[in-house]
Amino acid sequence: MAFNILIVDDSPAMRKVVRRVVDLSGFEIGKYLEAGDGVEALTVLRQEWVDLIVTDINMPEMDGEQLLIEVRKDSLLQNIPVLVVSTDQTATRIEGMMANGASGYISKPFMPAALSEQMSRLLGVTSDAGF
Amino acid sequence: MQASDFSPILAECCAEVLDAMYFATVTNTTHREATPPSPEPDTLAFQLRFQGDIEGSFGLSLSLATARTLASNFLGDDEDALSTEEIVQVAGELSNMLCGSIVSRIGGTKRFALSHPEPCTAATIFPFGLVSALETDYGTLNTWVAVHSTDNVASNEDAPVLQVAH
Repeated sequence: MAFNILIVDDSPAMRKVVRRVVDLSGFEIGKYLEAGDGVEALTVLRQEWVDLIVTDINMPEMDGEQLLIEVRKDSLLQNIPVLVVSTDQTATRIEGMMANGASGYISKPFMPAALSEQMSRLLGVTSDAGF
Repeated sequence: MQASDFSPILAECCAEVLDAMYFATVTNTTHREATPPSPEPDTLAFQLRFQGDIEGSFGLSLSLATARTLASNFLGDDEDALSTEEIVQVAGELSNMLCGSIVSRIGGTKRFALSHPEPCTAATIFPFGLVSALETDYGTLNTWVAVHSTDNVASNEDAPVLQVAH
């Protein structure tokens, strides 16, 4: 089964790193979809089938927290797993995002294997990453 | 807590970020309370502000050559294949990650939001802070951090407070 993954981050460099980790994880990917903020992400989500959202928090226009809230209250989108990747390592923020319905949370900096493991769990497949 | 007491947190966070995502090792760190060095030619410099329960500023400067190598490590691309735009993006992301890591550590459970990394010049650099020179195997990175609002942080018993002049 090929997965469509939506990577949401205002940093193109960070989107590229996440994509690289996905590549190295050996997941079968149908489409890589990218967005620079929550507004762009919602536009993509209403046009494309998405199996996993990987999102930053701190972004212009609509941040990752609001994106998560919007996804969880939309009956068509609410079952998509959302993995948060953020520089904010505070317990308050992590607990808040999980309470809002995040499926996982990775703090930056992260080891590639940690991100791969979380994606593997959320996609329900085994990673053959050689990190 | 004085700025000098805060330096171990900064050194630890920077070493962690550089090791985990940029495959760079910090070999030596020196700190001083001073005006940050003005960005020089062929230097990339960024500043961010953090706001919320803890407020202040963070800055990073590094040579273009160091930034190029770190970008190569971060993206997994050859240095020659990188555009200037990509190098600038990666340096900006580095400043974002360093700032987030440091503020998370000093802020304890406090909530904060980071501004986006903005290129800075001698004219926009903030005037005082804890300035740290991080020597790595790919060159030296200068960082500077100041916490402008300490009232809220002081209410958190777990969080050290950096006292700086305004």
